Amino acid sequence: MEFSTHLSPFQVLSINPKYISGVLVVVCWQYFLLSRRSLKIFLFFFFANTACSCYASVHAVHFHEQAHPQTAMDKDCAQSGLTWQVRANQRRYHQRQQKKSFLGFRWGRYSDNQVRSYKYSVLTFLPLTLFEQFQRAANLYFLFMMALQCVPIISSIQWYISIIPLILILSVRGVKDLINDMARRRSDFEVNSRPCDVLISQRFSPVQWKDLCVGDIVRIHQDQTIPADVMLLCSSETHSLSYVETADIDGETNLKYRQALSATHDQLTSEPAECTLAAFDGVVFCEEPNDGMYAFRGQLHWRGERFLLGNEHLLLRGTVLRNTQIAYGLVVYTGADTKILRNCGKVRAKRTRLENSLNRAVVVIMVFLLLAVLLLAVACGVFASRVMSRTEVLSALVINGDPVYTGFLVYWSYFILLGPAVPIMLYVTFEMIHTFHSKFINWDLEMYGPQTDCPAQARTTSLCEELGQVEYLLSDKTGTLTQNRLLFRQCCIAGEIYGDASVRAEDTEPMDLTWNPFSRGGLFMWAPALVERLRAQRSPTIRQFFTALTLCHTVMAHWKEDALVYQAASPDEEALVGAARELGWVFLSRSRDFVVVSELGVTHHYELLALLDFTSQRRRMSVLVREPEGALKLYCKGADIVILERLQRDCPHQESAEKALEVFSEACLRTLCIAVRSVSETSWDQWSKTLARAVAMATFDRDALLEKLYDEMEQDLQLLGVTAIEDRLQEGVPETISLLKQAGIKVWVLTGDKKETAVNIGYASKLLDPDARLLEWQELRQILQSPDPDVHFHKLKQTDLWAVEKEKAGVQTAVVLTGPELTEFDQKPEWGAKFMNVAQQCRTVLCCRVTPGQKADIVTLVRKHTSAITLSIGDGANDVNMIKTAHVGVGLTGVEGGQAVQNADFSLSSFRFLQRLLLVHGRWSYRRISLFLRYFLFKTCSFALVHLWFGIFNGYSAQSLYETWFIALYTVFYTSSPILFVAFFEKDVSAENSLKWPELYKCGQRQELSGPRVLFASLAYALYASLVLFFVPCGVYYNSAVDYQTMAVTVSMAAVFTANIEIVLLTRNWTKFNIAAVCVSLLLYFICSRITHSKFFFQREPADYLFYGASDEAFADPVVWLTALLTACLAVLPSMTFLALSVIQTTHHKHKVHSTSRQLVEPRTQFTRKTSLCPSFGSGT
Amino acid sequence: MVKNENESANRPDNTAFTQQRLPAWQPMLSAGIVIPGFVLIGLAFIGIGVALFITSRSIQVLELDYTGVEQDSPCFRCSDPDVRDCVCSIQFSINRLFEGPVFFYYGLSNYYQNYRRYGVSRDDIQLYGDLSSFKEPSDQCEPYRYDRNNQPIVPCGSIANSMFNDTFRLFQNVNGQQVVVPLDGKGIAWWTDYNIKFRNPSITPLRNAFNGTVMPLFWPRPVYELDPSDPANNGFINQDFLVWMRRAALPDFRKLYRRITEGNYADGLPAGNYTLEISYNYPVLSFDGRKKVVFSNVSWMGGKNEFLGIAYLVIGSLCVVMSAVMLIVYAKFKFPEED
Repeated sequence: MEFSTHLSPFQVLSINPKYISGVLVVVCWQYFLLSRRSLKIFLFFFFANTACSCYASVHAVHFHEQAHPQTAMDKDCAQSGLTWQVRANQRRYHQRQQKKSFLGFRWGRYSDNQVRSYKYSVLTFLPLTLFEQFQRAANLYFLFMMALQCVPIISSIQWYISIIPLILILSVRGVKDLINDMARRRSDFEVNSRPCDVLISQRFSPVQWKDLCVGDIVRIHQDQTIPADVMLLCSSETHSLSYVETADIDGETNLKYRQALSATHDQLTSEPAECTLAAFDGVVFCEEPNDGMYAFRGQLHWRGERFLLGNEHLLLRGTVLRNTQIAYGLVVYTGADTKILRNCGKVRAKRTRLENSLNRAVVVIMVFLLLAVLLLAVACGVFASRVMSRTEVLSALVINGDPVYTGFLVYWSYFILLGPAVPIMLYVTFEMIHTFHSKFINWDLEMYGPQTDCPAQARTTSLCEELGQVEYLLSDKTGTLTQNRLLFRQCCIAGEIYGDASVRAEDTEPMDLTWNPFSRGGLFMWAPALVERLRAQRSPTIRQFFTALTLCHTVMAHWKEDALVYQAASPDEEALVGAARELGWVFLSRSRDFVVVSELGVTHHYELLALLDFTSQRRRMSVLVREPEGALKLYCKGADIVILERLQRDCPHQESAEKALEVFSEACLRTLCIAVRSVSETSWDQWSKTLARAVAMATFDRDALLEKLYDEMEQDLQLLGVTAIEDRLQEGVPETISLLKQAGIKVWVLTGDKKETAVNIGYASKLLDPDARLLEWQELRQILQSPDPDVHFHKLKQTDLWAVEKEKAGVQTAVVLTGPELTEFDQKPEWGAKFMNVAQQCRTVLCCRVTPGQKADIVTLVRKHTSAITLSIGDGANDVNMIKTAHVGVGLTGVEGGQAVQNADFSLSSFRFLQRLLLVHGRWSYRRISLFLRYFLFKTCSFALVHLWFGIFNGYSAQSLYETWFIALYTVFYTSSPILFVAFFEKDVSAENSLKWPELYKCGQRQELSGPRVLFASLAYALYASLVLFFVPCGVYYNSAVDYQTMAVTVSMAAVFTANIEIVLLTRNWTKFNIAAVCVSLLLYFICSRITHSKFFFQREPADYLFYGASDEAFADPVVWLTALLTACLAVLPSMTFLALSVIQTTHHKHKVHSTSRQLVEPRTQFTRKTSLCPSFGSGT
Repeated sequence: MVKNENESANRPDNTAFTQQRLPAWQPMLSAGIVIPGFVLIGLAFIGIGVALFITSRSIQVLELDYTGVEQDSPCFRCSDPDVRDCVCSIQFSINRLFEGPVFFYYGLSNYYQNYRRYGVSRDDIQLYGDLSSFKEPSDQCEPYRYDRNNQPIVPCGSIANSMFNDTFRLFQNVNGQQVVVPLDGKGIAWWTDYNIKFRNPSITPLRNAFNGTVMPLFWPRPVYELDPSDPANNGFINQDFLVWMRRAALPDFRKLYRRITEGNYADGLPAGNYTLEISYNYPVLSFDGRKKVVFSNVSWMGGKNEFLGIAYLVIGSLCVVMSAVMLIVYAKFKFPEED
C-alpha cells in the first residue's frame, strides 16, 4: 500500500535503507567522538526516537483506515506529483512529523516555521569559523607552517612568529563573522517572535511565528505580513478577494490580488468565522516545496470533491496584506519550505580580475619559493657532505651523519623561513579596503538622488576596482536611458492620427476636460477632434478602442482621499488606463468576475470571462469579456508584429496603421496595437471547456497547451488602432554617454523595443553620431559569412555607400541587430568571434527586440570573445539575467520593481551617476587597489627573500637574518598602516579632473597598473631589493668584527626604511593620516626593537630574547645607520627613477590630454542633428 | 520642515571624510623638481662617500696570516694536527708610527659561525648561571650536551666547544732585546654580555659550582680556569669567551683579541721590528680556513671600511648620471611639443 509506506518508521526517521550502512559508519564515528556520558544521552535519544516513530506508525495505520475512501484520489494525486499533504486543523498530526535533527540525523517531513539564518551557536562558533577559514589555501599554508615550526629540529624561527599574523587574520574574520551572525540572530529572533492569530480549539489565539505549523488555520489582518505560505480560504472582501503587496519579494509596490476558491468562500464565510473554520477538514495535496515563485499546483479535497488550486490561491510568506480587512488561510508550507526561503539561493560570488591575477601572483610566489627551497636544500646537502665532514667544529651537526637527511630537514626549515614571502595578510587587508571603498560609494553625495531619497549603494563590496576597468557597458534602454515615466502622446484610430509628438510634453496645450469629473490632468496630448468625436459617440471604432484600453489590463484601482488611484505592474498600462480615464473612459474597479467601467459617466459592468496574461514571450495580453449587452468580445493589446500577424484578412486601416507605427517610432515613441474580436457563444463554450481541462492538467506540458489555446483564441483580430507612448530620456544621459565614450568605454544598448525606437534613442542620447552609418543584418551577415570578415568589412567601408569620410568610416559605424537575428548565432557558434571582431571596430551596437535571455547571451558573447570587463545596467526584471551575467551589474532604482537592484552589485538612482561611479570611484579604486597590491607583494617578498642570499653565506643552514620578533612585527606594525591609508585616500587626480579628462580612465582598461607584466615587474623589483638588502650590508661587514646581531639589526632597519621610502614615493595625496602612519611606523620600529631587545624580556625568557643589547649598540653606531641608509636608497632607486621618468613624461602627457580634451569638447557644443526626428529630445543638446 | 528631513533620511553625511575631500597635500612633482632633486641626492651621497673614503684611508691596518699553509711560513710546522703545544713566531716591521689606540684582532675565514644549528647550540640559561642547567643542559646543546660518560658538559653546545684557543704575545725588538708589548684584555666584550647576559653561579670558589660536570670536549682547560693570570676573568664572564660566544655575521670575520693602550704604547706602536709569538692550537686547515692577526686603529666609523665609502660614491655618481639622462629625456619630450 502506498500510503502506509509513506509513514513507515524508516520514512519517519528519514533513513533510507540504502543509507543504513552510512548511518552505521556515522554511529561508529559518534561512538568514538562522544564521551561516555554523552553517549548515554545519545542512546537515550535514539531509543526515544525509535519509540516515537513506532507510535507514529501505529497512528498512521489508524489514519489509514480513516482515510480509506480518499485513497483512490490520493493515489491519483501522488501520480501527478502532488505528494505534499496538508490536513486542515490537524495540528498534532503535522507537529509529529516536523523536521528535527539530532547529531546529524534528520527526520520528519515538515519544516517548522522558524527562520535560522544564523550559522553559529556558542558551541559551534569556534570549530565552524575555523573550518571555514582554513578552507582558504593561504591560511592552511600558514597553519601547516606553524605545525612545522613546532618541530624543534627544523624550526628556523619560533612558532609564535607566524601565529601572530595568523591569529590576527583569524580573529578579524572571526569577529566579523560573529558580528554578522549576531545581527542575523537578532533579525531571526525578531521575525520568529512576530505574533500571528492561529485557530486553536475553536478560538483564534496569538502565537509566535516560529510556532506556526502546517495545517494551521490563520487569521491575517490588514497590513500584516503573511507568516508562511498560506492557501487563502476566505476573506472579509467580496468574492474573498485579497490584495497583497509583494515589495519584499520582487520589489514591486503595486498590489496583486489573490482569490479564494468559490467553494471555500461560499461555505466558510460566516460570522463568527471560528466555528465554520474549526470544522473545516479539507486536505490539500500539492507539489513538494519548490522555488517556483509564480507557480503553485495543488488540489483541495473536501467533502468528497476536488478543487484545483493555483498560484492565485496562495499568499506567499513575506508579502503584506493590503486593502483587505481580514483574510483566513490554511498554512501549506512553513519555514524552510516556503517559496521565499527556497528562493534565497546561494549568491554567486563574483571574483574580480585583479583578485584573479593576485591569486596567480601568489601561486607564482609559492612555486618560486618551493623551487628555491628545493635548491637551497640540495645545496645544504652538498655543503653538509663536502664542507662539514672536514670541519671538526661543525661536523657533529650533520644530523645522524647523513647529509641527505640534513638537507631534507633544511628543506622544511627554509620552507618556514621563506614563508613570510607569501602575503597572507593581504587577503584580510584586501577585504578591509574593499569595504572602505564601497562605503565611499555609499557615502557619495554626488551620487545621491534627492528626488527618490536614494543614495548609491555598493551591494557587493568586492568589485570596486572592477569599476575602473570597464570596457563594455551594456545598457537597457527603458527606464535606464529613459525615464520610464510614460506619457500618452499620440494614437492612431481607424487610420487617423491624433496628437502631435513634435511639441514637447510640457509645451502641449492642455485640453478642456472639465466635462469629465474623473479627469485629474496629466494628459499631454492636443487632440480636440478626438474628444469631440468621442463625446459625440459617432465612431464605434473609437468607442471600442477606449473600451479596450479600460478593459485589457491588470491594473488595480482603489479610492484614496476621494481620488481614483491606479496601481499597475507596468507603467505602460498605467499610462494607457490613465489616458482613457482622462478622455472619459474610466476604469473603476475590478472583482474576480467583473470589471466596472464608467463610459462618459455611464457605469457598465463587463463580465470577465478569461484573462490571457502577458508574458515576455507572448508579448501581448487579451481579455475575454461579456458586454452588458451580452455579446462576447476579446480585446487584445500587444506589440505590433505580434498583433499584425494575427489580424483577419483585409483588415481595414491596416496600412494606415503601419504607416502610423513608422511615424510614431521615428518620434521615439513606444507603440502598442489594439485589436478586438467578436467571439461566438459556441466557440467560447468549446474553448472554455478545453481551457478548464488544460488548467486542471497537472503535467508539465500544461503551459505549452495553454499557450496553444491562447493562440487559438487570439486569431482573426480586427485592428482598432495604435497607441504611442513617450518615454523621455533621463537627465544627463547624452552627456554621460559621450563622456563614457571618451573614456574608451563601448556602450551597447539592449532593448526589447523596436529597431526604429532604439535607433532614435541612440541618436538622441548621442550614442550615434548624426552621420553614423548603420550596419544592419543583411550586410553583417555577408561579413560574417565571408571567410575573412576583416577584409570584407574594410571593403564594405570603402564602397560609396559608406565612404562619406573614408578615414572615419570605421568609427562611424554602428551595428543594429534584432532578437530574431540573434537566434541565428545559436546555430553558427563560429560567428560569435567574427561578430565581436567587427563590433570592436564599430562605434556601438544596438540590439533591439531582444528577450531577457538574449540580453544575457550577448553579455556572455562579449565575455567569451574578449578579455574585457563588462558592466550591465538595467532597472527591470527583464535585466536581471544580464546583470547577473556581466562582471559588474548595476541596477537602477526606478519605476519598475526592485528586482534589478536586488540582483545587482551596485545600485544607482539615475543613469548619469554612472559617470561618477566609473570615472571617479572606479578609477580611484582601481588605482588604489593596484598600488596596494604591488606594494604588498614588494614589501613581503623583498623582506623575506633576503634569506635566499644569506643562505649562500651561512652554509644553507636556514639561519634567519632577522630577529624572530622582527619577522612577526614587520608585516603587522612596521609596514601595514601607511599602505592602508594609501589604499583608502590615494588620488592622483581630483574627482573634477577625473571627469574633465575621461581619457585617464583608459589606464584601467589596459590594465596598466595591474597587468601580469606589472605584477611580474613588482616581483622582480622585490627580488632586486632583496639582493640589495643583503649584499650591501654583506659587503660592508665582510671580514670585519661586526657580529651577527648587529648585521641583523642593520638589515632589518634597511628593510623598514625601504618599505617606508617606497610608500612615500607611491603616495601622491598626503592627508594627515598618511603622514602620521609613516611616522608612526618608523617610530614603532625603533620602539619595538628597543622593547624586544630589552633586559626585561631577556631575563624572563633568555632563549627568545637573545637580541638583548643588540639594538642599543647598533643604533649608536654610525656605520649601521650609514649602511641602512645606503641600502634603503639603493633598494628604492629603481622606483625613484621610474617615478622621476614618469613625472617627466606626464608633464608632457598632461599637456596633451588637456589640449585634446579641448578639441573634443567643442564639437559637442556645436552638435546639431542632421534630421530632427526627435524634436522632443532636442533639449538634451 | 520635519517632513523634509524625513524625506532625505538616506542622504549621506556631508563631511570631508565621507566625501573624500580630506585636506591633503599633493606634491606637484615636475621635471623642475625631480631633476635637481636627483642631482642633490647624488651630490649628498658623493659628499658622504668622500668623507667616508678619506676617513677609511686614514685608518692603518696590518694583517698577518699565520695559518702556515705555505712551506716557508714560520707556522708551517705547527699546522700539522699531530703536533701539540706548538709555538711559532712571526716577525714584522712597522715603518711609521701605528697610531693608537691599536686594536688587536684575530681573524678566521671560511668559518661558518653563522650556521643555524651551530648558532642555537648553546644553553642561555646555563650561561646565565642557573645551576639547574648545569646538571641537565638544554637539548639545544646536542651533540655537545653530555660526554661519553653521560656527564653534563658546561658550557655546553657547539659554540662553546669550538672556542678559539690560540694565544698571542707581542714583542718589540729594541736593540736585539724583546720588549713585551702589554696587551689589554679588559672591556673587549659587549657591556651587556659581560654584565647581564652571562653570569657565573654565585658560589665561591667558582670551581665548586662545576662539580659533576665536564669541560667542553675540545677544551684544554675548564671554563673556571680560562685566565690563570686574573681570577676575576674566569668562568662565563671571561672576556675571550664572551667575544667568541657573540657569533660572527659572515664566514669571514675577525674578533677583537686585545687592545694596546698601556705604557709606552698608549699612543700607538712606534716604527720598528716586532715579533708575534703564537701558541698555535686551533685547527683550521681541515676546512680550508685561514687564521690571521689584524692590527688596526679606529676612527669614528670604526675599523677600515672602504666598501661603504666607495658604494656611496658609486650610487651618488649614478644619481648624477641619471639626472643627466632625465634631462635629455625631458628635452626630447618637451621641445618637439613647442614647435
